[in-house]
Amino acid sequence: MGPWGFVFLAYGIVWGAILVYLFSLKRRYSCALEELAQLRAAEESNEDAK
Amino acid sequence: MVKSVEKTKRGTGILGALAFTAVAVGLYWGLVQAPPDALQGDVQRIMYLHLPSILTAYLSFFLVFIGSCLYLWKREKRDDNLAHSAAELGVLFTALTIVEGSIWGRPTWGVWWTWDARLTLTAILLLIYTGYLMLRSLIDDENRAAVSAAVLGIIGFLDIPLIHMSVYWWRTLHQPPSILRPDKLPWENVDPAMLAALGVNLLAFMLLYFYLLSLRLRLGEVRNEIKSLRLSRGAY
Repeated sequence: MGPWGFVFLAYGIVWGAILVYLFSLKRRYSCALEELAQLRAAEESNEDAK
Repeated sequence: MVKSVEKTKRGTGILGALAFTAVAVGLYWGLVQAPPDALQGDVQRIMYLHLPSILTAYLSFFLVFIGSCLYLWKREKRDDNLAHSAAELGVLFTALTIVEGSIWGRPTWGVWWTWDARLTLTAILLLIYTGYLMLRSLIDDENRAAVSAAVLGIIGFLDIPLIHMSVYWWRTLHQPPSILRPDKLPWENVDPAMLAALGVNLLAFMLLYFYLLSLRLRLGEVRNEIKSLRLSRGAY
């Protein structure tokens, strides 16, 4: 592998990993928000029932 | 409350836009604008990733240290969330530093890995904070997990001065610092065009780091809210 091969390998791995982490973070955040909304809805319906 | 959440979201969005603009400028400076190194040639361009990555990891573990000390003192979830979020990002940036270093080491030293003092201590740093994240997930009692992790987070931080001084204390394959040298100013030792490329990339990494940290902190806040709602409903 030539010098540019090593450079592109390093840059590709780093930016690829950071993008994967960013997308996984956004997905985890959306899932958590969805769960929170469900819990709040259940809480409200419980209070209404009381 | 809703207004402040919206304001935080907008702030994070602006930070994200700034970070990705700086990353694009950093890529241009690192891959095009900066000259090749006189000895190493183009492969030295990996430095524009390597140094910002490890400095970002150090900043992250410093925040773990601060968050952990504050949590042990005040027992506030906000501080524990800071330590936990920063630890996750610190592990990511340390792992990336090791991978970049390995790729840089192959053409310059002839090996992907060697048990050099600095490399070994950096690998230990990665293991300590991977252990920190595992510890948190393995202990069921939330408060006990936070206290144990805080103690490990503080002890783990002691590895960073050792990493920094390792190139002076031991005979190592890793070069001594080129920028932060006690005997020379940075611009006396490094070409100004290379220094500028390094500065732009460092700024890009810092902006990106704070963008990721703000997203991770928000995730932690939502998870804490879910836990308190479940506790109030007696689900645990």
